[in-house]
Amino acid sequence: MDEEPERAKRWEGGYERTWEVLKEDESGSLKATVEEILFQSKRKRWEVFLFTSLGLGTMRHLFVVVDCSRSMDDQDLKPNRLTSTLKLLEKFVEEYFDQNPISQVGIITTKNKRAEKLTELAGNPSKHVSALRKAVDTVCLGEPSLYNALSLAVSTLKHMPGHTSREVLVVMSSLTTCDPNNIYELIKTLKELRVRVSVIGLSAEVRVCTVLTRETGGSYHVILDEGHFRELLQIHVKPPPSTSASDCSLIRMGFPQHIMVNVNERDAKPSFSMAHLDAVVGSGLSLGGYFCPQCSAKYTELPVECKVCGLTLVSAPHLARSFHHLFPLESFTERPLEGHPGHRSVRFCEACEGELRDKTVFECPSCSGVFCVDCDLFIHDTLHCCPLCIHRNSAT
Amino acid sequence: MKLNIDGLLVYFPYDYIYPEQYSYMLELKRTLDAKGHGVLEMPSGTGKTISLLSLIVAYQRAFPLEVTKLIYCSRTVPEIEKVVEELRKLMQFYTKETGETNNFLALALSSRKNLCIHPEILHANIVVYSYHYLLDPKIADLVSKELAKKSVVVFDEAHNIDNVCIDSMSVNITRRTLDRCQTNVETLHNTIQQIKETDAAKLKEEYRRLVEGLKEANVARETDVYLANPVLPDEILKEAVPGTIRTAEHFVGFLRRFMEYLKSRLRVQHVVQESAPQFLKDIYEKVCIDRKPLRFCAERLQSLLRTLEITDIADFSAVTLISNFATLVSTYSQGFTIIIEPFEDRTPTIANPVLHFSCMDPSIAIKPVFQRFQSVIITSGTLSPLDIYPRMLDFRPVTMASFTMTLARTCLCPLIVGRGNDQVALSSKFETREDFAVIRNYGNLLLEMSAIVPDGIVAFFTSYVYMENIVASWYEQGILENIQRNKLIFIETPDAAETSMALEKYQEACENGRGAILLSVARGKVSEGIDFVHHFGRAVVMFGVPYVYTQSRILKARLEYLRDHFQIRENDFLTFDAMRHAAQCVGRAIRGKTDYGLMVFADKRYARADKRGKLPRWIQEHLSEGSLNLTVDECVHMAKHFLRQMAQPFRQEDQLGLSLLTLEQLQSEEMLQKITQMAHQS
Repeated sequence: MDEEPERAKRWEGGYERTWEVLKEDESGSLKATVEEILFQSKRKRWEVFLFTSLGLGTMRHLFVVVDCSRSMDDQDLKPNRLTSTLKLLEKFVEEYFDQNPISQVGIITTKNKRAEKLTELAGNPSKHVSALRKAVDTVCLGEPSLYNALSLAVSTLKHMPGHTSREVLVVMSSLTTCDPNNIYELIKTLKELRVRVSVIGLSAEVRVCTVLTRETGGSYHVILDEGHFRELLQIHVKPPPSTSASDCSLIRMGFPQHIMVNVNERDAKPSFSMAHLDAVVGSGLSLGGYFCPQCSAKYTELPVECKVCGLTLVSAPHLARSFHHLFPLESFTERPLEGHPGHRSVRFCEACEGELRDKTVFECPSCSGVFCVDCDLFIHDTLHCCPLCIHRNSAT
Repeated sequence: MKLNIDGLLVYFPYDYIYPEQYSYMLELKRTLDAKGHGVLEMPSGTGKTISLLSLIVAYQRAFPLEVTKLIYCSRTVPEIEKVVEELRKLMQFYTKETGETNNFLALALSSRKNLCIHPEILHANIVVYSYHYLLDPKIADLVSKELAKKSVVVFDEAHNIDNVCIDSMSVNITRRTLDRCQTNVETLHNTIQQIKETDAAKLKEEYRRLVEGLKEANVARETDVYLANPVLPDEILKEAVPGTIRTAEHFVGFLRRFMEYLKSRLRVQHVVQESAPQFLKDIYEKVCIDRKPLRFCAERLQSLLRTLEITDIADFSAVTLISNFATLVSTYSQGFTIIIEPFEDRTPTIANPVLHFSCMDPSIAIKPVFQRFQSVIITSGTLSPLDIYPRMLDFRPVTMASFTMTLARTCLCPLIVGRGNDQVALSSKFETREDFAVIRNYGNLLLEMSAIVPDGIVAFFTSYVYMENIVASWYEQGILENIQRNKLIFIETPDAAETSMALEKYQEACENGRGAILLSVARGKVSEGIDFVHHFGRAVVMFGVPYVYTQSRILKARLEYLRDHFQIRENDFLTFDAMRHAAQCVGRAIRGKTDYGLMVFADKRYARADKRGKLPRWIQEHLSEGSLNLTVDECVHMAKHFLRQMAQPFRQEDQLGLSLLTLEQLQSEEMLQKITQMAHQS
């Protein structure tokens, strides 16, 4: 893992027992280091992900639950857990909307045995980001309540249409939860409603979270450090495979054109954007905007659900961006570098042109291009298409 | 899968096998081949039971004339049930693989409600029951004396076997016992009078039999039909019952006299300690009771009870106890001591006289077992140091081995905390017991751990008194309140009902994410019989070294005896005893390879080589030099790191080939070599 440059100052870190890292290598194959296992699970994660993901849910409804209890004051993430978490979540929200343009997010905080909504379920990243920025000053106190947070999320999620995904992502710092009722009843309800709950733990594995995620089909991870935390959040940026049980339905969508109005024109009248009506800050008064093709309500930003007629408004590029979830790039086959058929010259990755040093390489099944692990991850993670295939297509 | 253990075909009912199971079976096979005894240590949760069962059953099938029976002794009823469950699985596998319906008969004796007395049980191939059925002379005589010589006896969870042996041979007599005995004797007297009127011939017949002596028993023992009973010494079998107690009335009178004598002995004002010969001399001088009739007392009483056709034996437990005492005290001049205490040490004002007739030599009770059966296997998760058991129990094992856990990830993390954050040395030793700073630092340790360990923490103290003091002090300092902000607190008490209630609530709190701490006592119920799997015990904190209460006179006598007769120094034994209990306590948290847990030893004395070296090998192995004398802070930091590592996804595939093997992997040359290296011959 190379998050070396971002390391905090040496004296800020805890006790490091560097001599022990050396010791573990010595004892040979009997004691596989946890890092090795981690690397393998990273590979596995991708494979599982790609094989089952023939159809990924493109419309997601996700509630992020942020633990704001006393334990968030802990300084093992710098400067403390809360600040670090919120900062990573900001990035997460941005990336989430980048990957899932027609999805929505809401944020719930829990502390002092209560849970409250920081933001409602909505599709506007800037609103969430600003809410997250404001939340940095929250005083962390008391214990979280998993039960209250989840039932708050469910009360909204259960009204979401069946063809969309219903998800909750809990960032859990505390090791306890203070619940007014038996949480196992709630887990049953969540399962029936097909709400997928995933948990990222900041300290250690808690039994109730293990059961919760296992029952609802979510994932449970515990962070090792800040870099690992970021990676784990990254997993949730990708939409989960859509469950076969979710119903399909035809949804109406509007594709409004952005209409620019010149101030000098005679009938130029500034108007309010519908999305900003209830906002306190910013007038929201503007000239141009997107007009709903059904009821002509005006919006300054897409995607959005029309406040007047309920039509989902998106732009064509949005749809195109979520398109690759429906037809994901095939996973590359893993091969040993030695004995690669016919290619004695294969010593360099076709993408980054670096020397292939690992024991295994990855081969694109359609163009037989050979890539290194890092490029394989990058191609599937970010590019979503094989550069070599595209290159050959354009050449012919 | 089918295994080839040194030429023996073994059916193993699982698809995967741990490497240590394989080497365990190898050792076991070697022991059976040599027809000798063995001491085997293997960590709990690595499938000891199934390895034992499948190998011995296979051995029985292969050599039906060499080994006829397996006698499997375990400690508690739940453990017996677990064995039966595994056995059932094994039998199903046999039926499936060989296609024949098996003719194996297995029998489990757990509690009276499940007891079967059908004669067919004598032919059972496998018998599973509690230690007491074999070791306690009173029960062994009823249940086990007809077991065949060519049996294999297994004592599972046998780390406390010396204490079981001693308890089974020791007798405590209080005023209450004597009072109940008095009533028993009266009942006997009345019954004799009745019978005399109605059926005098019966008593005559008994008299005649007694004149002939205990010939039958003697013949039986010489021809080796029965398991010897330590209460029935060899010599008396050859003699006739002495005339003084031959008739029923005389015997009752004899018992009365003996009882009166005991009563007078209990009227003491100060502590008396004497040896068996001294006692015999005194009784002869005071009430003219000879040694010889005393030796026949137990047998004579049995005979009388049989003649009188008394069915409710339980009612006569008091008089049976007294007569056993009489026989033991007159038979063994060594290995026993008599201590009469007028009051308990803790309550010197309340008169509560007790006569302890205490056995100091565990080998007396177990000797017949070693002599009679061709192979006796002693096994447990914690038997270190291995050589002390053969010495204490006085036998010569052919194999002694300790196995470790092969792990794909280091799932146990033993830490020795020797200092507080203020550098105050942490220890439960007598001088610092009341020390405010130590108690505060202990509190601080638990507080910090409660903040970082998920779900359940079990904390062990050295004794109830010590726990009470510390908890009271924590309460005053407000530490308890702070801990309660992180987790709920439950406490073990000497009361069984209260403790099981606390346990239940503790588990509930661990289950639903509230988190809990259980404060309990080493050597208590929790430390011995209760497993804290997975989230029920993510950490065990051992406050202090659990030395036994050294001021007790019985213990002092025993230590002296061990020194004089077995060349085991007092300190060695005390440390050994403390460490086996500490190992038992911390071992509660790890119950398998997928489990993980912290083991915190909070006493600086653990770091010393003589203590550390007595921990089981599978714990010692993970105790690195760097974690021998940590401060609370360092411990918390290491624990945090460990818990995060352990929370990373861990699947079966990660274990495969390392700590979990398929048949093919097992048969590979390289693995076989590794396994043969692994068994640690000590």
